Amino acid sequence: MKRDEMTLDRRSLLTASAAGAGALALGVSLPERAGAAANPYFQHGVASGDPHPHSVILWTRVTPTTAAVPGSGRGPVVQVTWQIARDRRFSNVVSKGTFATGATRDHTVKLEATGLRPRTTYFYRFHYNGVASRTGQTKTAPAYTSSPDNLRFGVVSCANLQAGWFSAYRHLAKRNDLDAVLHLGDYLYEYAPGEYGYGNANKDIRPHVPKKEMVALGDYRKRHAQYKQDADLQALHAKVPFIVTWDDHEVTNDEWKNGAENHDPATEGSYAARKRRAHRAYDEWMPARLGDTVALNDGTALFRNLRFGTLADLSMLDLRSYRSEQVAVPIADGAVSDPARTITGNGQMRWLKDTLSKDRAQWRLIGNPVMIAPVVFPPLPNDVTSAVNDVTGLLPEDGSPYNVDQWDGYTADRHELFAHLADHGVNNTVFLTGDIHSGWACDLPLDAGTYPVTRSVATEFVCTSVTSNNLKDITNNPSRTTSLAVEAGIQTTNRHVKYLNFDDHGYSVLDVTSKRTQMDYFVITDRADPKATSSWTASWATDADTQQVHAVDGPVTR
Amino acid sequence: MMDMNRRSFIRAGAAGGATYLFSSALGTPMATGATSEKQRAYVLVVDGCRPDEIGSGMMPRLQALRDGGMNYPRARSLPIMETIPNHVMMMTGVRPDRSGVPANSIYDRGENVVRDLDRPSDLHFPTVLERLQDKGFTTGTVLSKEYLFGIFGQRATYRWEPEPIVPVSGHSPDQFTMDAAIEMVEQFDPNLVFVNLGDCDRVGHADLTGTTLAVARRTALVTVDTQVGRFVDLLKETGRWENSVVVVLADHSMDWSRPDRLISLQPAFDADPMLAGKVQIAQNGGADLLYWTGSPDRRTDAVKRIREIAAATPGVLSVHDPADLRLGARAGDLVAYCKAGWRFSDPRPYSNPIPGNHGHPATQPIPFFISGGHGSVRRATSHSVLAQTVDVAPTIGKVFGLTDPTGGYDGRARL
Repeated sequence: MKRDEMTLDRRSLLTASAAGAGALALGVSLPERAGAAANPYFQHGVASGDPHPHSVILWTRVTPTTAAVPGSGRGPVVQVTWQIARDRRFSNVVSKGTFATGATRDHTVKLEATGLRPRTTYFYRFHYNGVASRTGQTKTAPAYTSSPDNLRFGVVSCANLQAGWFSAYRHLAKRNDLDAVLHLGDYLYEYAPGEYGYGNANKDIRPHVPKKEMVALGDYRKRHAQYKQDADLQALHAKVPFIVTWDDHEVTNDEWKNGAENHDPATEGSYAARKRRAHRAYDEWMPARLGDTVALNDGTALFRNLRFGTLADLSMLDLRSYRSEQVAVPIADGAVSDPARTITGNGQMRWLKDTLSKDRAQWRLIGNPVMIAPVVFPPLPNDVTSAVNDVTGLLPEDGSPYNVDQWDGYTADRHELFAHLADHGVNNTVFLTGDIHSGWACDLPLDAGTYPVTRSVATEFVCTSVTSNNLKDITNNPSRTTSLAVEAGIQTTNRHVKYLNFDDHGYSVLDVTSKRTQMDYFVITDRADPKATSSWTASWATDADTQQVHAVDGPVTR
Repeated sequence: MMDMNRRSFIRAGAAGGATYLFSSALGTPMATGATSEKQRAYVLVVDGCRPDEIGSGMMPRLQALRDGGMNYPRARSLPIMETIPNHVMMMTGVRPDRSGVPANSIYDRGENVVRDLDRPSDLHFPTVLERLQDKGFTTGTVLSKEYLFGIFGQRATYRWEPEPIVPVSGHSPDQFTMDAAIEMVEQFDPNLVFVNLGDCDRVGHADLTGTTLAVARRTALVTVDTQVGRFVDLLKETGRWENSVVVVLADHSMDWSRPDRLISLQPAFDADPMLAGKVQIAQNGGADLLYWTGSPDRRTDAVKRIREIAAATPGVLSVHDPADLRLGARAGDLVAYCKAGWRFSDPRPYSNPIPGNHGHPATQPIPFFISGGHGSVRRATSHSVLAQTVDVAPTIGKVFGLTDPTGGYDGRARL
């Protein structure tokens, strides 16, 4: 999402940051609280990801010499050994090996441990020069033919290190009931210190490293390394496997296929080259299969499907790498509905539709980096819009959108996908979304203008940000004041939006059973407080076969 | 055709003074004693019900059955998503390429006519209705639609001869159907009773009365729920419930098409020099079965051309080789599906005035749940495995310890 999505453009935010620069010193002196700082070789923790029934990705980064700091391009080629075991004491090691790494891959280690049992908890660690990393815990996916009673995921997005502490990660890491964490994008941010921080004044709770916008490969590597030294993020990575996708900030703000709002070719060079560098660093530093493998240099396609028995499958989308450029604002020419424009790209759309048609599991979860529910002012019936367009061609098909960076800016793709669900009788599709720093629960109508007379084809749960600014932060008003009116206005004109919280930061927990899929929304206290507490605020669920959300009295129990 | 001379009839009286006509083979006992140990299974088909309607608040009795038993929210109807083939799949446990019943309507090449598959001789595979009898059990059919009564013929031990029949819809209203089902249980107490309740489906199809579709549909939902409630009450009041398995499902779902979203393929075929006059269409709501009737030597080219024209027609979702859908030879050369919200109307745009529609993939999701007091029914559970109409026969077979048919089932027991 644009960091300034709600009301402010980039220039005014930068101005505001400069005005608040005096507050920066507050954050500079605070440590990263790096849990592995005492470990000379494994300073960036351990991680696992993309669990399959018989394999999982294991990740770490080794620092073999003091000079071999991230992004430096320095340091020798070294051998790192790894082990994965059924028990925390490693008395029952089921697989082990050696991995060669060096400066060409920023000394990252990323491998696929195979030969594992389905839906089984494992422990893993790395060794270098006689020193062990911290022990990580992970869990494989259920067998394809099994029918698990439930699945439970942490759901997070939008973690801006400058805007605060990652308490949301810490509270998720305390849980012992998660199968995985779904990270829906904006895992890290590209901005320089002072450009995008805490609140409207852009106070940097913790300034970014390097102290500039990340553009070069070394910049991206250093920034990944900084985030991976956060103790809360390290704790969560070490506790459960991550299933990630990226949004825009993993490269730069409002990215599209051939450019981005926050990229100036005149001063920052080729956009394609910058994207390659960002994706390279991401492939090195994240426990995910890019190009469907753990290898580097074999493609960076990130959209992929993970299966969890007959209960659910999960399609993770990449809505940045293939999309057409966002339409200009204000919108007056109906361009958001141009069928030649795409948010998925044709290949990914074909793959997604094919995946949904295969009917491999009851729940069709979709990791969706930007919101798909129409949010418009006002929504009009499609027929009315079509009639107006016959004459004027002025109106986008789903009404006037407030955010053309999400699916609202690409309504032809949304229509194609929703129609596919209806045409093929695909029920129980649930979009899991990040990006917009707020919590939502929505029905997804085939025609927003006639809803609820016409029917819903799927549902969407949107998690709020870990730290990135939301509406109250931007308006600089107290929580639950001005936002209430905005929320009410949106829900009045968008009858499919059932829950909306513009004010809080935190995380969500998604629990999936055959009867229903439920999203629990948890919020944290002040993100400037490294010891922020967490509390439950709302729960919404969709019962099987209903394609509608409803409120639930309380969260699932651990 | 039925042999009237080898059937015996009984007109059973109900408490309200109405009478119900049942038939059976000559010599069949017309009543059996109810014992608490007797195993029983009931298959109740809520014709054309959508899975979301069960929890809509208008079907509390069905919802209670669903929530108290084994629910299969991922259940699907199978091609062609029409009444006759899916009822046949329920009772045979095999797909149409083995049963010979791929659709409601086919083009019969031998008779050179488009007709319903409503003859007993159309069904080529044994059903559990007669296989259970071979093992000493009794079975009964209470089928509200004339063509269902037709194709299942005299396979069950006891058959209700549906009446009265609504002229436009060709079905008997649910209240009469359930009266007959209750009467059959009380009079004959078969081990298996197969019931089709047609109101839900028929109000969609026959909405020509000036009432709104939504109101008529809601009324049907409430009605069928009430009738199913009566049946459950009977089982519980008579002590049968504890040894009963009650399977509730739909044969297909329901979609509603818009008046301006009609697909007529016949004019397009007739306008093509190669195809003119040489393509027959068997219309099955949201699916058209397409038959090349010209020279067999030109079939390959002709089928290619039929596919091209059908696929390019607005509203057509997809075109399939019937073998890919396991439909068998009687389904013709190609199957065309429509998109949600559309319907086929052949040979002319005004030929099909019915908005309620099924047969296409949009109408695959169905309710499917198993209740009853039988020990094999796991209480209040929901299951993420795929359940299909073809699973009913194996499920019934499991209740009664029936061996698999020759070649095995295509479905799986869901108990």
